[in-house]
This record gives sequence, structure tokens and C-alpha cells, in this order.
Amino acid sequence: MAARAKELICAVLLVLCGAAAPGSRADARESVGGQRDQTAPQTRATRVVSLVPNVTEMLFAVGAGSQVVGVSSYDDFPPETKTLPRVGALLDPDTERIFSLRPNLVIVYGSQTELEGQFARAGIRVYPYRHAGVDNVLQTIRDVAQLTGHQTEGDRVVRDLRSQLDAIRARVRGRPRPKTMLVLGRDAGSLRGVYTSGGVGFLHELLDIAGGDDVFGDIKRESVQPSNETMIVRAPEVVIEMHSGESPPADVLRRERAVWNSLVSVPAVRNNRVYLLYGSYLMAAGPRLGRAAEALARVLHPEVYR
Amino acid sequence: MIRGRLISIVLGYGTLAAGACVLAPLVGSTHISLARAFDRSIPFADNVDAQIFFVARMPRVLTGAIVGSTLASAGVVMQALLGNPLATPFTLGVSTGAALGAVLAITFGSNLAISALASVPIASLAGAVVASVIVYALATRPGRPISTMVLLLAGVTLNAFFSALILFVQYAADFTQAYRTIRWLMGDLDVGGFQPIVAALPLVLVALGLFAFLPRSLNLLSVGADIASTRGVDVGRTQRLAFLSASLATAAAVSLAGPIGFVGIVVPHLVRLMVGVDHRIVLPASALFGAAFLIGCDLIARTVLAPVEVPVGVVTAMVGGPFFLWLLVRKS
Amino acid sequence: MLRAEGVSFGYEGGFSLQDATVAVSPGSLTGLLGPNGCGKTTLLRLLCGVLRPQNGRVLLGDRDIESMARRDLARHVAVVPQETHPAFDYSVLEMVLMGRHPHLGAFQLEGPADLEIARTALAATGTAHLAPRNYMTLSGGEKQRVIIASALAQATELLLLDEPTASLDLGYQLEIAALLARLNREQNVTMVLATHDLNLAASLCDRLVVMRDGRVLTHGATRDVLTGNMVRQLYDVDADVAFHPRAGHLTVVPVKRLP
Repeated sequence: MAARAKELICAVLLVLCGAAAPGSRADARESVGGQRDQTAPQTRATRVVSLVPNVTEMLFAVGAGSQVVGVSSYDDFPPETKTLPRVGALLDPDTERIFSLRPNLVIVYGSQTELEGQFARAGIRVYPYRHAGVDNVLQTIRDVAQLTGHQTEGDRVVRDLRSQLDAIRARVRGRPRPKTMLVLGRDAGSLRGVYTSGGVGFLHELLDIAGGDDVFGDIKRESVQPSNETMIVRAPEVVIEMHSGESPPADVLRRERAVWNSLVSVPAVRNNRVYLLYGSYLMAAGPRLGRAAEALARVLHPEVYR
Repeated sequence: MIRGRLISIVLGYGTLAAGACVLAPLVGSTHISLARAFDRSIPFADNVDAQIFFVARMPRVLTGAIVGSTLASAGVVMQALLGNPLATPFTLGVSTGAALGAVLAITFGSNLAISALASVPIASLAGAVVASVIVYALATRPGRPISTMVLLLAGVTLNAFFSALILFVQYAADFTQAYRTIRWLMGDLDVGGFQPIVAALPLVLVALGLFAFLPRSLNLLSVGADIASTRGVDVGRTQRLAFLSASLATAAAVSLAGPIGFVGIVVPHLVRLMVGVDHRIVLPASALFGAAFLIGCDLIARTVLAPVEVPVGVVTAMVGGPFFLWLLVRKS
Repeated sequence: MLRAEGVSFGYEGGFSLQDATVAVSPGSLTGLLGPNGCGKTTLLRLLCGVLRPQNGRVLLGDRDIESMARRDLARHVAVVPQETHPAFDYSVLEMVLMGRHPHLGAFQLEGPADLEIARTALAATGTAHLAPRNYMTLSGGEKQRVIIASALAQATELLLLDEPTASLDLGYQLEIAALLARLNREQNVTMVLATHDLNLAASLCDRLVVMRDGRVLTHGATRDVLTGNMVRQLYDVDADVAFHPRAGHLTVVPVKRLP
């Protein structure tokens, strides 16, 4: 359940926080910046509770793993998080539990304003995370690295990620960019309830980096729910389904791939370019971004990865 | 006299419904040419117009016809059974039961589908059946007529209880599941092919077939249960048949396309305004008009804000709400 | 023709009718008379099969009505209830045609013969001109006459009526009474009517069943049963009961309440 939970946390957040505008990135930076001004440089956060799984990943990636004392109900990466106390998530944060862990930094969702207020009143530093594009992810890594006193590691992680993404960009440069539909979910066993990435957000940006042309790039929303007709009309050349769970048994995989066969006129179906990708790293807006981008690039441009 | 009226009205509304089925796939956010769609010389896989017509729109229109006709006629039967023109197919809890089944399948069901049918439609059908059985058990005593008051109370209670359960399950669900639940609750005629339609068809046909036995008895029943009895109506049997068939119809429709509101109450009222209140005419006319109505609403849903699609339940609500306001104003 | 033998019926609290035996002979106009709560409506509902007796039985001819199919019974016994509130806006003609139900097959539609019977029934109750009107828009008296017409359309030999003139103006009361008397006389329709109106009973009924507190006190020919004594027993009222030459029947004039 946790894997599936993380499966589309990002994509669904996109829906919930649909109004997440570029301005929010500035907010995140401002709150950190403000705190930087208010607190002495030595007061790094030694007890961190994180309600946001991808930010938890970032904490571990920058070396602050030992400072994490509480995680959300949906955390499962890295494996160390599995033994940490769970404090709820977006809908059901367990404030009592959080307080009992005596944190000096709590990472919450940007929409949990009441929670923010509660912690602020209790004198506990709060970092509100708002979901946006790749740059926002990198900035968040830097922010949490700095808050936990791992600035250098944070900068290194960001540098590595950037060069990873740049490398991918370079590899696919000049290759024709296929019209790609990035499917984030649909009803099992059928083509109902399909929803895909839209022209905004970090998944869209990853697709762009990986050398794909988002078939819904003109729709400035983070997710799109296309009808069968829309999919036929848009005629994507490649369809990539992203699942954050584990790969299912072969017969299920075959059946799930086969549901696309009813859209015979879609080029992706005719040329057998429908890919089903499985892995928890695929939609984690965190340090494994690069791996996700590479996975996309490998299916979009297999010829440059021989 | 009534035979003539019945035939002409059924023919008229039948033409409307058939026309809607045939014309609606032609219209949409993308322009297609009928000539091209039916041009046999172009291979089917290459013929985008044909693809749009047959693969994308036709199943949708057929689903709209099936769901529209079943919900509208179930609404008529429910209104007669409860003796109340404000009753809907969802009044006695069938759709809430379906919703609970769907929510449980979405939240706790694995991603594996059972044979050709995905788990959500089956779970929602099961939920609808469970809800109907509970209401039936609460409201009936063997051999005695059903008290409509008790039936209504049982339905309302079940609605409240199951709604609370749904909220509880949603609270325990994660974002994806909550989102998928909301989408299901909005209703969707884009069922993704002909298979779900074929699966739902037997239930629908059985329910519509059972409806055929009801109209005259419903006329008498809606004047009064006792007086109907003295005129030879087996009140208990009529009530049970009405409840069973309306619940079956609603369960089939909701498990196919989700709970699409307002069809079951707007269409019967509109039809009564046009053809009078004799159930022998209202029931078939509502079924036919309901098909055309939902196809029309879906047409609006997929074209008005293209390329974004409005959920069809929103369109039926936007049509239904003002209609009822107007009815209210007219009555007072 | 219609007989109740020792029937009893009760709800949770107790019996509303106990051990009632009533015989209705063909062609008679029987009144079930008594104050409110005496059980006359319950007895009427038992006689037409809407209620099932907890003790005793009701016989139509020599058949127990419980063993009869409802449609079959409906071809012999029609009922005019005290009030009718349809849930939808049926027209007067539609309301009357509903009386044809027991004579129609499952999917049969009304034919010209049924229509003729309905129109005759409407004419007999003086409501032919109301045929296309919405039933709900009629006055109380008109509604009652329409319901009687629908019972007539049922073409039965027995007609049971529950307080047929209770909601009517004086003029309509007399009119309905005259109508019922005529139907009984000319078409030989046997009638049973439940009423608390002594004068109606006196003017219309040739036989009376007098009831009080869920029991039958006495029954017999009106002229034998309807006495000042009976009125005192039933209502604790001192009344004059006398034959009124101009009216042509017994009349009851209440004088004073007895302590």
C-alpha cells in the first residue's frame, strides 16, 4: 500500500494543489530565508519530523538521516524509514505524536497551514513544502540540507543531479522528439479514468529533459484526464505508464499492456511503443530524479543507450 | 384511445432516442466526417474518423443510452412506489451502497482485475445489492404490504450510515485513492470500450423487462394502497416487484457509469409535463427520453469546454437544478 | 351474500373489533352505525379484504374471501374510501377508468366498452362534465362523486362505502344519498355503508348494524333498530326518533345531552 501511496502522491498533489504557482517556490525560499535571518547559524535542526516522503528522501540523501525522528505513514524509502515512528500525512497528521517526538523542525505540506500555525505557536520551526518543477525540487534539497547543517552535502547532491540531467539532455540532443503521453494512472484492466501529466510540473519537465514532446504540453495544468477520444485525436507516438509499485506478474503485465490495443489508430499502439514502467523512484520528486529521467530517456531513445 | 396515444408517443420518443444514438457520435470536440468514418476503402486502423466514431464515441453514446434509460425509468418506478414525485432512484440507498463498494475496491482492492471485469464495477454492484437487501429486510414483513413510510426511513437511514462509512474509508485512503474515489463519484460515460456495456446489459434487460409488468398497477398504487387493493392489485407483490426492479436497474447503471444524478428525477417530471401521468405511457417514454437526455448531456460535457471534459454528472446537475427551481416557482 | 362470522381484529394496544357477525343479504342497503372508534371502519375493511381477521372469517357467498385472488374479489366488491389522495395529477376520466382494472388482462388496454362503462358511471354521478379535469382541482363533493363513479365502473354487485357524505355540503349529502338509493333500487347494487350520521342511515339504509366499543350491539331492520333507546345507548343523547311524512323516512332529532 505504501508503494502505491507514493505512486501518485506527486501527481495527485498536483491536482489538489492545482493552484501551485511559481510564486510558491519563492514562498518556500522566503520562509527558509526568513528563518536564516532569525536564527543563529549553529542552530541546525537535530530532530526532524517529515510529513512529506520525498523530502524525507532528500534528508537521507544529504546525510541528515540520523536527525530524522519521525516520518509520514507513506514513507518507505530509504529502507531506514521503515523503522521510524509514523506521524500521519496530509489528511491525518498526528500532532500529538509529532509533539511527543520533540522535533525542532517539522516538514509539512504547504497546504497544511493550520498545522504550520500550531507548530509556529509552539516555537517549532516549520518548513512548508510546495510541489512544483525540477528547480523547486533542487532548491528544496538545498533548503533542507542547510536547515540540518549539511550544506556541503546538499550542494553536492544538487550538483550531481544537475549533471545527471545535463548528461541525459546531451545524449538525446538532436534526436527527434516523439509525441509522448505520460500516463500516471488509470483503472486496472481498462482504459477508464486515465490521467496523465499535463504541460506543467516536474514530471512534464523530466519528460522534456528525456527528449520527449509532451502530447498535452499545451494544457497548462499539472494533470489531464483525457477521454478515449482525446487520446485518439492527440495520437501520441509513445505512451509511457508510470507506476511506483513493483512490477506485477507477467500475465497481469500482458493484460495491462493489452488494454491499449483497442486504440488501434494511435501510433504508439501500432508501432508497439507502449511502455509500462514500475519503480518507486519514478515519481519521487527527490534525489532519484535523475534515475527517473534516465528511465524515460531509455524508452524514448533506446538507440542512444546501446 | 390510449393505445393510439401509447403507440404514437413510443414511436416519437423512440425516434428521438434512436436519433440521439446515431447523431451524437458525429458531434464532438473534434470534427469528423461521416463519409470518411464509413469509408471502407481506408483501413480501419488508419481511419481516424472511424476510430473516433466507433472506438471513442460509440461506446460512450451507448452507455449514455443504457444508463439514461435505466435511471429515468427507475426514477418513475421509485416515485410511484413511494407515492412521492420527489423520489429518485437513489432515495433508498442503492447508489450509496454502490459507492461504498467502489470506495472499498479502490482503497483496499488490489490492482488485479477479476477476469475481464475490473474490480470496481463488481464491487459497486455488490455494494448496491447489499444495500438493497438491507433496506428490503428492514422494511418488509412477510405477507404484508410494505409501509412506504418505513421504506423511506430505512432508505434514508442506510444512506446516512453508508455515507459515514464512505467518509471513514476515504479518511484512511491515500491521495490517489481519494482522488480516484472522487472521480468515480462524479460519474463517467467513457467506460473504455464495449466490454463493460456487454457485461451490464443482461441486468439492464432483466430490470427493464420487469418494469413492463408494473405500469397499470403503479397507477392504482399511487392513488392509495388500500384502494388499489380493493381494485384487485396485489399491493405487496407490486411493491416488492417495483423495489426489486428499480434497485436492479439502478445498481446496473451505477456500477457501469457511477452515480449520475438528476436523470432519475428530471426526466420523469419533464416527461409527465409532456405526456400526462399515466404510467403506461410515462414509463416507456421516460426510458426513451432518458436515453436521449443523457446522451445530450454527455455531448455538452465533452464539447462545451473542450479540450477539457466536464464530468457528465455536473452537466445533469446544472440542467436539473434550474429546472427544479423553475418547477418550484411554477407550483407556488 | 356477504357475511362476516365472528371476526376480530386488533392492533398492538388491543382489539378494535371483537367477535362481530354480520350478514348482508342481496339487494339490501346496510348501515354500520356507531360513534367514532366503534369499529365500523375496521369491519368495513375486513369485509372488503383489505384487513385479514385475526379470528373468524368473511364469506362471499360460500367462499372465504381470504382464499380468493384479489382480482376475483375486486370483480364482486368495490369500495369507496373516505378520502383519496392520489400522488399524481390524474384526470377524472383516468381515475374512473382505474375501476376497470379487475376486468382487464395483465397487458390489456381499456377498450371502447370500458370507456363506455366509465362514461356511464360518470353520468350516473353527475360528473360527466368533469371528465377531462385534474382530479385534485375538484371540490370535496365532486371528488367524492368521482370516486363513487370509479367504484361503479368496477361493475360489482357489492359496494362498500366509508363515510360517503362526511365531507360534503348538505345539498351534496342529499344528492349522494339519492344517488345511492337509486343505484340500489334500479341496478340492484347491494351496499354496506359505514357512517356516524344517524339521519343518513335513517334515510338510506333498510338494515342497520349498531356498533359500539368494538362490538355489535344489535342489528336488524332500520325501523326496528332505530329507536330513541338506541340513540341513548350509543351516544348518551336524548333524541326524538319519528317518521317524517315529507321526507318519507325516519328522522332523528337530538334534544339534549344526557349526563
